[in-house]
Amino acid sequence: MSLGKLAERLLHLVPVLLGVSVIVFLMMALTPGDPVDIMIGDQNVTPQQEQAMREDLGLDLPVHRQFFVFLGNAVQGDFGTSFYHRRPVLDVIVERLPATIELSLVALIIALVTAIPLGVLAAIRRNSILDKMATVGSLLGVSLPGFWFGILLLMLFAVHLQLLPVSGRIGFDSEIEPITHFLLIDTLLRGRPDAFWDALKHILLPAITLGLPMTAILMRVTRTSMLEVMRQDYIVFAEAKGLKRGRILFRHALKNALIPTVSVAAIETGSLLGGNMIVETVFGWPGLGRLVVESVFLRNYPLVQAAVLFYAVTYVLLNFIADILYTTLNPRVKL
Amino acid sequence: MVRLGRVLFATAAALGVSLSAVQASELRVGFTLDAMTLDPANHRNRETETIIRNMYDGLVTRDGDMKVVPEIAESYELVSPTVYDFRIRDGITFHDGSPLTAEDVRFTLERLTAEGAMGDGQTSPRKSLLGPVESVEVRDGNTVRITLSEPWPILPAMLPFQEIVSKAFVEKVGTEGLATQVNGTGPFKLVDWRKGDAIIMERFEDYYGGAPSIEPVGKACVERAIFKIIPESASRVAALLSGDVDIINELPPFSIEQVKSNPGTDVMTVNGTRSFFVAMNMEGELFSNPKVRQAAAHAIDKDLIIDRILGGNAARIEGILSPDAFAASTDLPVYEYDPEKARALLAEAGYPDGVEVTMDTVGAYKDIAEAVASLLTKGGFNTRVAVGEGAQMTQKWRTKGGPKSGDMYFTSWGNGSLDPFDIFTPTHRTNDRGNSAGYANPEVDRLLDEAAVELDTEKRAALYRKAEQIVNAELPYLYLWVPQDIYGVSKRLKGWRPSADSRINLHDACVD
Repeated sequence: MSLGKLAERLLHLVPVLLGVSVIVFLMMALTPGDPVDIMIGDQNVTPQQEQAMREDLGLDLPVHRQFFVFLGNAVQGDFGTSFYHRRPVLDVIVERLPATIELSLVALIIALVTAIPLGVLAAIRRNSILDKMATVGSLLGVSLPGFWFGILLLMLFAVHLQLLPVSGRIGFDSEIEPITHFLLIDTLLRGRPDAFWDALKHILLPAITLGLPMTAILMRVTRTSMLEVMRQDYIVFAEAKGLKRGRILFRHALKNALIPTVSVAAIETGSLLGGNMIVETVFGWPGLGRLVVESVFLRNYPLVQAAVLFYAVTYVLLNFIADILYTTLNPRVKL
Repeated sequence: MVRLGRVLFATAAALGVSLSAVQASELRVGFTLDAMTLDPANHRNRETETIIRNMYDGLVTRDGDMKVVPEIAESYELVSPTVYDFRIRDGITFHDGSPLTAEDVRFTLERLTAEGAMGDGQTSPRKSLLGPVESVEVRDGNTVRITLSEPWPILPAMLPFQEIVSKAFVEKVGTEGLATQVNGTGPFKLVDWRKGDAIIMERFEDYYGGAPSIEPVGKACVERAIFKIIPESASRVAALLSGDVDIINELPPFSIEQVKSNPGTDVMTVNGTRSFFVAMNMEGELFSNPKVRQAAAHAIDKDLIIDRILGGNAARIEGILSPDAFAASTDLPVYEYDPEKARALLAEAGYPDGVEVTMDTVGAYKDIAEAVASLLTKGGFNTRVAVGEGAQMTQKWRTKGGPKSGDMYFTSWGNGSLDPFDIFTPTHRTNDRGNSAGYANPEVDRLLDEAAVELDTEKRAALYRKAEQIVNAELPYLYLWVPQDIYGVSKRLKGWRPSADSRINLHDACVD
């Protein structure tokens, strides 16, 4: 891809972000429920006091003016102050981000290392018991609700077997000074293998829960494309030439079969962000997803707006990465 | 393959070394929501309050019977209907070692109540909780005088949740710094706030001991106390059962048996402060008829629901007030469960074949609203439950005088101060914030307004009792029950009791 194309793609981000901010702003404004009402809750306040709170939060302006205030500040990198945390939303979001990214990456790794071998095996042993089990398994993986599967894992591994912790990111005896804010990396950098184990034990169940639907999807994509590739002339030719089966599979077939897997993986990473909201709630994972869920219920407008914008940017970038990967791996395709 | 086997074995061995043994005096609370901020003046959030109240003390606090008693104040008195004097105790130090003075108290209250006092033109979101506080001044060194713009007898009841900050510290770190740093006078100091994950605190060794009238006086029992944030209730129960935490809040009623039957854990309850009721839309044609409202009251078997669905963990009410609240009446007439009578009353009102109604509620109350609906259906009200989200329901029903649509609304109102002013007035005064029934009675308005400023406790109680007699007869709401707050605890926990104001005070809690 040329630099010009790259710049053009990045420019596409601008209308997307503008559109997303309009939509998210309107959605929050049109959703019934008033932030000030929620904040006051069951307290007894006078209408004057209520009005003062409304002004304090900037909610006394008409919606269109609120939007332009938001937009004007947002282009300068100011996403406003969280109604509840009473700090800039960007600060609040950035604090929670490393936990979410770490969890998503581990989930992605788990998905890739289980889905690809399973998919390949299912394809080369087509219609075998293994293939059928993998197919049923992937159907389950896509359909099991995350909150249910997560709690099931919790009850088994944390409560009955007591092998893994119930919630949180790391134990209270494993405090480390952050460097990258990714605990699996920081614990190693600080030379604390015990803390690394602790962090790993904490991340295992949430990452498996989060990665399950993705594993299922990637496995099926890998299986299908592997079957496709195995029917190609060049594989038939390789077989006729008498090459060893292992060599055919791993040197010739897999390389091409993985092209769709990789680009689907990049796009599906975006959906990990959505899954995070549920998984983080179930496992008490201190990430962005949970913060956003809480904020939606509290009608914490500035935080929801900024977080949705962040999700939108990530999604667009991931799609962009998927395209680049696809063209790099498959030189026949030009963007 | 051999190598893989070894790796697997090593992994299993490492995992098998289960959670490291909890330190001897470390107490963990599995809690629903993280603090939004650690600044006592910059939030309106009950969970935030619960957490930071362990690190900050207030002028006054509540004892086990919910009576307001002096804490940082040594004593207080009502000088005139609009003037309170609080004498400040000697020998209290902040976590940084500096002594607490009356000036810190004045600064704290001013920061809460003065316009723009938070800095950057910001006013504290808690200002409205201190209603008519007009000015605060220091007199003769250790007395703080609070002057009100009008008589307001509930000032002491509103003060337990206003924590005292250090003036010098706030001036040093600013409102921004106070959001994440703590320098209080409470029994625990902040060690680390892992946002969204945990708040880790350690015992403050120079603690002055807390309210002298609440035993035991002295520093906290445990060396370390941790609030671990676990929002999902099933996960919170799992954390308790696995021994990961010692106390969990909001134990769902359906998990009570599971926690009780587990050998290491138990259930503790306390009378709550949240009244449950069903609003009947009195602006609508159907429920504007008193006979119809009476019919609905006779259709509901409260005892059955309390017994079967709430596991016996609730107290029934015949008016809006919790049995523990100030001025709660014990002699209100009871609408006995009588579905026949309900049908008869409906027929008298002109609905011999019964009526179709919809009852709105929120997801959390769905099960129990369904149970109420099935009883109403037997009494002639063919009731359908419609679930909406909290914020949406508030807008539909708490219209503050705006037009209302809908038939019935199953809802609740909290009353942490246990003073009728905070629950009776908003739910029953004409067009007030929580008046979801659209009830309007000038006589009740007058009684509530008079009671709000009446300083004589006896007279004040009499006004509320009279108002409660009226609303019990007119029935804008079906008054249901006040559920208990349910906590799960580990059996190694000693000395801790849940508190009716939903505080989790860890000062007296010990672990074996």
